[in-house]
This record gives sequence, structure tokens and C-alpha cells, in this order.
Amino acid sequence: MAGGQGRAGVIWRQMPLSFRIGAVILALHLVVAVTGPFWAPYGYSQMGAGRPLSGISWQNLMGVDQLGRDVFSRVVHGSHIVILMSLSGTLLGLLVGATVGLFSGYVGGWVDVVIQRLTEALISIPFLVLALIAISAAGVEAAGNPVLVVLVVALVYAPRIARMARATAIDIATRDHVTVARLRGESAWSVMWRELLPNASGVLLVEFALRAGYAPVLIGSLGFLGFGLRPPSPEWGLMISENRAMLIVSPVLVLGPGLMLASLVVGLNLFTEGLARVLGRTVRLGTR
Amino acid sequence: MAILRMIIGRIALAGLTLLLVSLIVFSMLEVLPGDVASRILGRDATPETLALLRTELGLNDPAVLRYLHWIGGLLTGDPGKSLVSQRPVTDILGPRIFNTLMLSAYAFVLYLPLTLIPALVQAIRRDRATDHVLSVITLVLLSLPDFLLATILLMVFVIYLPVLPAISLVDASSGFWEYLRAMTLPALTLAIVMAVYAVRMLRDNLIEVLDSDYVRMAELKGLPARRVLLRHALPNALVPTLNVTALNLAYLVGGVVVVEKVFSYPGFGSLLVDSLQLRDLPVIEATVMIAALVYILANLVADVAAILLNPRLTGG
Amino acid sequence: MTGALMTVEGLSLAYRQGPNWQRVVEDVSFAIAPGEVLGLVGESGCGKSTVALQLLGYRHPALRVLAGRVTLQGQTLTGLPRADLDRLRGRRISFVPQNPTTALNPGIRIGAQIEEMLAAHAMPRADTAALFDLVGLPPDAGFRRRYPHQLSGGQQQRVCIAMALACHPDLVVLDEPTTGLDVTTQAQIVTLLADLRLRLGMSMVYVTHDLTLLSQIADRVGVMYAGRMVEIAPTATLFRAPRHPYTQGLIASIPGADGDGAKGQPLPGLLRREDLPPGCPFQPRCHHAQPACASAVQPMHNIGPDHAVACWRWDSLPPQPATAPTPDQRDTGNPAVVLAVQGLTVAYGHAAPVVREVSLTLGAGETLALVGESGSGKSTIARAISGLIAPAAGSIALRGAALAPLVRARNPEQRRLVQLVFQNPDASLNPRARIGSILRRPVDCFFPTDSPHSEGLVVQALDAVRLEASYAGRYADQLSGGERQRVAIARALLARPDILLCDEVLSALDVSVQASVLDLLQRLKHDSGIAMLFISHDLAVVRLVADRIAVLFRGEVMETGPTAQVFAPPHHPYTHALLQSVPRPLQRPQPVASRQTGPSQPNINGCAYAARCAWKVGAICDTTRPPWQETPQGLGLRCHLPLSDLTTLAERTPVENPA
Repeated sequence: MAGGQGRAGVIWRQMPLSFRIGAVILALHLVVAVTGPFWAPYGYSQMGAGRPLSGISWQNLMGVDQLGRDVFSRVVHGSHIVILMSLSGTLLGLLVGATVGLFSGYVGGWVDVVIQRLTEALISIPFLVLALIAISAAGVEAAGNPVLVVLVVALVYAPRIARMARATAIDIATRDHVTVARLRGESAWSVMWRELLPNASGVLLVEFALRAGYAPVLIGSLGFLGFGLRPPSPEWGLMISENRAMLIVSPVLVLGPGLMLASLVVGLNLFTEGLARVLGRTVRLGTR
Repeated sequence: MAILRMIIGRIALAGLTLLLVSLIVFSMLEVLPGDVASRILGRDATPETLALLRTELGLNDPAVLRYLHWIGGLLTGDPGKSLVSQRPVTDILGPRIFNTLMLSAYAFVLYLPLTLIPALVQAIRRDRATDHVLSVITLVLLSLPDFLLATILLMVFVIYLPVLPAISLVDASSGFWEYLRAMTLPALTLAIVMAVYAVRMLRDNLIEVLDSDYVRMAELKGLPARRVLLRHALPNALVPTLNVTALNLAYLVGGVVVVEKVFSYPGFGSLLVDSLQLRDLPVIEATVMIAALVYILANLVADVAAILLNPRLTGG
Repeated sequence: MTGALMTVEGLSLAYRQGPNWQRVVEDVSFAIAPGEVLGLVGESGCGKSTVALQLLGYRHPALRVLAGRVTLQGQTLTGLPRADLDRLRGRRISFVPQNPTTALNPGIRIGAQIEEMLAAHAMPRADTAALFDLVGLPPDAGFRRRYPHQLSGGQQQRVCIAMALACHPDLVVLDEPTTGLDVTTQAQIVTLLADLRLRLGMSMVYVTHDLTLLSQIADRVGVMYAGRMVEIAPTATLFRAPRHPYTQGLIASIPGADGDGAKGQPLPGLLRREDLPPGCPFQPRCHHAQPACASAVQPMHNIGPDHAVACWRWDSLPPQPATAPTPDQRDTGNPAVVLAVQGLTVAYGHAAPVVREVSLTLGAGETLALVGESGSGKSTIARAISGLIAPAAGSIALRGAALAPLVRARNPEQRRLVQLVFQNPDASLNPRARIGSILRRPVDCFFPTDSPHSEGLVVQALDAVRLEASYAGRYADQLSGGERQRVAIARALLARPDILLCDEVLSALDVSVQASVLDLLQRLKHDSGIAMLFISHDLAVVRLVADRIAVLFRGEVMETGPTAQVFAPPHHPYTHALLQSVPRPLQRPQPVASRQTGPSQPNINGCAYAARCAWKVGAICDTTRPPWQETPQGLGLRCHLPLSDLTTLAERTPVENPA
């Protein structure tokens, strides 16, 4: 046991600094997300937690909003919502995007042309605009539903991940070990499963981490514009939007959710950058 | 000739993509399950108003016909009338697009120095403290959502250091300085968001080029350091950054949606949000098509520029 | 050494690797006399290029000079301010890079790249045309306005050489200047350098991994191993009486192109930077090593005129390189034809065909070599045979049955019988699969009934290529290049093929490793009677393995016949040029019987080789396709000249054997 810990320690120390800092930040966020609902001082919609807009105090670490709700408790309750929606949306986007992209890149021909045109068309609608029209297309009944937000994140990410996976598949497919498999007469699925996927996994992992890093921003933007979750949900973007109305009176109210959102994304970005370095890849952080 | 054919090919592909976008947008907004009329009217719909609206919108026609009618209108410059105000969509869009163009131009002017200066400093001082500090700053700024960055800038320049207006309302009667003052905060937000993305890439490109064989060769030829940097390294590092600038232009189209909303700036982005809330379909569709058009054009220009700038393709 | 042009004293260098500094060069000293050519030789990663760059005072954020200094006639370069260095670089010491394609700025015209250098050193710009002429490039303004990508690799290297000579430097540092080039181009560049040196009288430091090449051009040779100089001696002395075990191993690993059938002896083991002993770095691979070698740092011992060696046991070791092994015997008979290629023509897209009407036959157990420079269509032929590209015309028959053009239309048995081994084993092994599972695939695919005991078959296959059974659990990146190529061969053998297509299987490997893989292939040929199509640009290697040879030029067979016949007159003019450009130890280069490589278009009507032919008859060569002529000994070639004339011409400029 001690030996195992020792080895883990050695590996940990060999990781890039950005990876280690990112991992610590992420771990803290995960702890808050999992345990937060049990120790948060107030409920997320519990009013009367303090005098509305009374500022920071020991009772209310991040202030009290205009409805008298404790911002700190709301932020803590929001944590698992944001993280769960981000991860599941990105994962869904990865599954769809990677399968479509790898297949289209390896098979080529007219299948590839059609898929590639469709993904290009989806990508050319700015991602926030695509998310907004998708939500309004879903209609009034679905508005504010977390499942809708998750599906929208996947819709926005899948074509972008597919483009990346396709380029990777084309690159790997020209390598000699794939040619060897083709010369043996192996089926397209067997080649994808044995030769492409294991070699694309590094790229896909980094792509997943990168996209997961921006999912909270996308979800926050939707909430901020009033197209995401509905009040009284403690989703951070929505909170920033609500508390922004009181910016002149109590500017501190936007800092709580803002700090949580920013630190989560910083953590994910650092983690992604470090991960990419470990896997010997380059990554372009950013939403484009 | 081969180049001309290549460029024409790119333009044709861009046209095809735009056509596909129109299909996607139309089917998402008008064909997907759920009745358009009830979506527009929302919860207050009565059977009578629904029936009325359906006839008015021509919803009883088959979808293919409606699509052809719509796309025909777009191509002839007639995207229809607003459902809410009954004014022609072109009249509504015109001033909004003008405002957004002004804002984008302003943001772009701020973007260039915000990109070039830190990237050059980082590349020259690579792996030293200056480089590391700038790297951390860009990483943190890169991780801030644009609405949060806008809110923070608002706090700083409006509340703690009250020099700029919180709300950037302008109209046709506003003078030039009024415009400029109103646009400063949204433009700065957009410029920072674009610059942090480009700085990291330009720094990496510069360092890669500085490590290239031909820069080493230029140094070993005895050329002075400044000539090596400006004549041999920078031009070759800027070419890939061109692509980033196209991506940034494309970002602008989406970025203005949030940033204009934060500052209540009457541009094209806030129009999209407003008409989505009002479910004003003709305006939404026209706005989305314009956003996609800008994105596709930005990428087309970058593609063509990369072809023209590559001596391998132009042959001199 | 007094009156030295440049001296290097106790140079130690380190590279940054993450947070640590890795020592890459350790206490290297040497001097260069005016007009002297010093060669630096060693395996990749031995630090020779790093040392060469220090001769120009090169600095990089990730490189640190730990100790020592470099002086140019009394002026110390180490630590000199950048502005002062700029005055020396290019003017007094200049540099020729390894890869001219990446060393020329892609966005600047070649003329301008030289002119900016002349301007920086206040030299007249008008010199550019004369410089182009000097290095054998067209001096006209139109050519000088070209961009680097519009030039061939050889021309790009000539531009770099012109640049290096532009300011009449005292010393030219050449970092592997011919490694990236074709054999024929390589020979032309070496000839040019030898010629320039005679005419201009400057000193040179020539860095390479190719000892044979140094023997032709260098006055003295320094041998480096793992960042240390292990032996330095005048060239002739080094070849006749190498003292360091590493030098002896290097010399023994050179395959001879001469007729004695000598093949290279592999150097055992592999240079592993991470576990070097504190003493002699070569100790882990040395035949003569003693335990004490691992701890005792080896200083240089002066053992003769200009001869120093870093081995304390130098006088107790035999001064001879390891002896050549017994020549290979070949049984010639008339074997059954397993593969017949008839009139094969292959084109990519609508371009001119890269392979034109090629006909070949391969008998059971026979090895046929396809020889030619890059772009001659050798690999395309292999791709067509294996079904990766459909021929435009012609047929391929396996054991008398025609093969479908593309692999997906062939039946499993046909796919099994033809196996391809690629040039680069790094790319041909899936990096994310264990060797065992890579080797199990052909068994699962072709012999599903054997799948249950595939473990045993894998171990057998590993054993057949002289690898331990434990390798099955490793990943490709845990193997050396030579080991990976063995695995690739083992994978091909597990399909129990009739024919092995070997596409440049040696050229991605270090010289010392090539010999061991070559040895393996020869053994396979004897033991399993497999037929091989051996594709190579290296005549020295081909001579060792091939029963018959086909010489290709621009996709056409120029000459074909039994190996001994191809190496003896009469030769096709192109074969003759190829034979003359094979580097031989201790032989000064001679002008290659081939004219300037022009960017000529493929000649559809006449002879493909006409534009480069040194023995061109006249207009007939450009207009009429030459006839196919055969000798009674089974040699065939395509030329307008009668065979008797070809014999005379070949004997007038014979391919010399070394003394």
C-alpha cells in the first residue's frame, strides 16, 4: 500500500505544474459539488437568510440577494448542477461527434462529403446563436429543462468534435499500420476499433477536457440571457444575471457566482493544458 | 489558373454551406415538431388566434413550398415583415447592423495592439518571469466568460472609477463622441476576449518560428537580431495567426449577442435576443442567416488570403 | 596545435529537458588547422551537431555552455556579445545546414537570401551571380528570383553552400549536408565540396553519421560517442588502425559495395542516454569491457602523430576492425514463377504515369532487387502488387492466377500470400498495441483455427527474428528501430507468405542496425525459401541480398539481370552512374558520369534517361524509344548504344575497387 502511494506520489510530481494546479482546483470543485448540499448553511431558495442586500458577513459569506437568499449557499447548491450538466452534455457531444467523425474520416467517399458539409454548416452558425435557436425551437414547454440544456451543449459540441475526429482519422488512416490492416482485409469497423480509436484516444481526451472547460461558460451564457435554467435555480450564469440588477447597490453579489464559474473554468483549462502536455499534444484553449 | 480554380472552388463550397445553413435554420425553427403558430403565441394562444396566425403565415402550405418562398425572399433582399411591429425586417436590421459594425471596427482597432505587443514581449522573453506572468494573465482572462468580463469591466469603470456610462444607448441623433464613449466598454470587452485567444497562439507561432532552421540559418549568416525577428520570424508567424483572426471575427458575431445585451447596446446581437424572446420568426431567421454569412465570409477570406500568401501556391 | 585556425577546449554543454539540464556534450577538445577538413562522426544523438553549432557561437534559451571555450585565432566566441558574433558569423565562419528545405526561408527568394547576407557583411551584391555559377547553379536572374520550394533538394543545398561561401570564410561548418539527399545528388554534392575546397582552400568541419563519406573528404576524423570524443586521428590511420572499440565497430558495420560480398557487422546494443555509466560511456556495448571501465573516466591518450584515443586499454586491443564474414552462397536454378508482373503502368490521377510498362518475374525462393533513386517508381510497384493502388494497365499474376487490382477485391488466400514490410517501422506498428497483439492479428485473420494457440506462434515468430518472448508484452516505443523492423518482419512471416515485399526496409535505420536486419533477411531467405522483392536505393546492400536486379529510372526498367551480370560491364549508362556514385571507404570522389539534374519533363517518346545521360548518342535518344537488348548471360538493357560500345565505355571509366 505504501509502495503504491509512493509510486502515485512520484507520478504526481512528474506531472506538469499546470496539470497539478488544475487537478487541485477541480478536486475542490468536485468536493463542493458532491458534499455541498449537505453542509450549505441555507437552502438554495430559502428566503430570510439575512437582510436583503446587506453585504458580506460571517453569516453570509457572499452576501444576501434582493430576495433575502444567502448567495454562498446558492453558489454551493449550484455547483453540482453546473458540473453535472457540463460533463453530461460534453460526453454526449463526444460520443456522437467522435463516432461520426472517425467513421466519416476513415470511410471517405461521398459519405464523408455529406457528413463534412453538414458539420461545416452547423459550425458556421455561431455556437451561442445555434444554442439559442435550438432552445427556442424546442418550444415553451421544454424551456428551463436541464435535459434540454444538456442536449443543446451536445448539439453545439458534436460537429466541432466530429471535425477534429475526422481530421485525426484521416491522419491515422494514412499510417502504415493501418495499411497493413487493410492489406489483411480487415473490416472498416475492426480497423476503426483496433487501429484508429486507440491512436485517436489522446486527441479525443484532450478535446473532451477542452470542451468540458467551456460547457460551464455556455450554460452560464444561456442562463445569463434567460434561455437556460429558470429561477429559482442556483445556476451561476442565471445568478450573475439576477444579481447584476443590483450591481450599483451591492456589487459583491456577482462576485460569488463569478468567482466560482471563473475558478472552475481556470481549473479545467489548466488541467487540459497539462493533460495535453502529458499526452504530447498541443491544444488551443479558447471557445472558437 | 490553378489558383483561380482553387479560389472559385472555395467560394462555391461557401455558397453550399450557406444553403445548408438555411435548410438547418428553417427546419429547426419551422419544421421541427411543435406548431409554429402556438410557439409564437406561447401560452396565451386561443384556437381562434392560432388559426388566424396560421393562415397569415401560410402554415397550411407544405414545408418545401414555405422554404422556397422564404429562401426566394432572402435572395431577392426581402426577408419579410416583423410579426411584432409589422415593419419590414430590412428596416429593423439596417441601423442595428450599422451599430454592430461600428462596435466591431472599434473592437478590432483595440485588438491589434492588445495581441501583437504581449505576444512579441513573451516570445522575446520566453521562459522568463515576464513570459510566465503574461501566460497566467492570458489564461485567466481566457477562462472568464464574456458576460462576466463585461460585468467586471462595468464594475470597475462605472462604479469604482465612474468614467464611462453603464448603459450604451445610442441612436441616430447621437454624436461621434457620444458613440465612442458608449462603445468603449463593449468594444474593450470584445477586444480583450479576442486578443487573449490570439496572443497565446501568436506567442507559440513566434517561438516555433524562432526555433526553425531558417531563423537559425539567418542568425548564423550574421544578420542582426532585429532583422532576424522582423524580416525572417514575424512574417512567417503571422500567416497562421491570420486564421486565428478569422476565427476571432467569427467569434465577434456570437460575442456581440452577450456583450451588447450586457451593455444594452442597440446592435444586431441584442436584436437577436430580443426577437427570440418575442418569437419574431422572420427577424430571427434573417439575423441567424447574417451571422452565418459573416462567419463563412470570414473563413473564406482567411482561406483565400492563405492561398494568395503562400508562395508555394502562387509560384512567386 | 600551434597556428590553429580554431580550437575547442574542454567544451561541455547541457540541454534543458523540462526543469532539468541534461548534459549532452562532455569535455570535447580539438583544433582545426588552416585549410584542413576535419570530420566529426557518430550515431544520431551523440552531440556532434551540437558541437558544430558551437563553432559559430550558437545560443539557444534551452542550451547552456557548462565549461570550455571555442576560440577563433585567439578570439573567444563563447560569451562574445551578439553584435560581435554577427560580424564573425557568415563572414569568417559559415554554416551549411542538414536540411536545406527547412533552412531556407520559404517566403524569401533565394537570390535575396544571399544578398541580405552580403549586405550584412558589406560585400558587393553583384557577387551573387558568380556564387551561383561557382556551385553549379544557373546564374541567370530568373533563377535567382525563384522561391526555395521551386528548387530540387540538391539545388537547395547548392544555394546553402553558395551562401556559406559568399563572404569567403576561413571555416565552413557542414552539418550532415547530404543526409537528406538522393544517392546520386549526394555524390554530386560531395564532389562539389571536394572541388571547392581545392579551389578555395578554406577549412571545413564536416559532421556526419556516414564514416564512408568522411573517408572521401576529410583529412582527420573525430569519432564521438554519447557526447564525448572517443578517438581522433588522420583519416587513413583511423581506417587502417582504429583503436577505440567503438570506432572499430563503426568501421566493421559498413557494408562493402565491392565484389568480396562483405556485409556489415552490427554494433551490439543501443545507445541509451538515460543509463550511461559514470566512466566510459561505451562500456555497456563494448566487447572488451571490464567492470572497471564503467567507473573510470577515460581521458584522451596521445598514441601517435595526431592520433588520440579515449580508451585505457588501447594498446592491449587488436588494432584491426572486425573481420568480414564468409561470403554468401547462392544456388541458381530455374525456380517456379510465383509472381509475374506484365506491362504494369501506374499513374496517380491524370498525371504522367510514374511506372511505365514494367514487367518482372519472381521465382520461388528468389530475391529480386528493384533499384533506383527516389521517384523512380520502386515503391509504387510494391503498392500496385499489394493492391493499394490500381494499375492503369498491365497484369499481376500470383502463381499463375491474375490478381484483382485492389486488395479489397482479392480473396483472403491471395492477401495472405503477399506480405509487405514498410520502410519506417515506427509508422507500421500500431503504437497503442502490444507487440503480442500486433503479431496475433495475422494469425486471427488468416488461420482462425490456430487462434487458440496463437501465443506459441507469436513466441516462435519472435524467436525467428531473434527477439525474446518477453517482447510480446511491450509496446513499439519501448523497442529500438532495428527491433521494431524485426517485429514488422515477424508479423509478415506469421501470414506464411510466398512473397515478401521489402520496401526500403533498411533506410530508416542507423547504419549499425542495418547490418543486423540485413543478416536476418538473408537467413530467412536460406531457411524458409521465401521469395523477396527487395526495394532499395543502396547498391551495396542490394549486392548482398539479391539474386537478380532490376534498375529503374523514372518508372521504366533500364536494365535487369543476375546480380553479378549487373555489376559487370556492359552497363546501362544509368547503372554505370549509380555504381560510380556508391560511396567507398578511402576513395576520393570522382566526377559522376551524369549531367546536371535538370527539372526535365519525362520523355514520353524517347529514352527516359536521355536528359541526364553522359553517353547520349544524339537526337535519336530524345525521339525514339531505345530497343531492349540482351546478352547471352541473361542481362537485358534498354539503350541505343550497342552492347559492345557500352562495355568499352564502362571499361574506360571503370568503377574502381578500393586498394
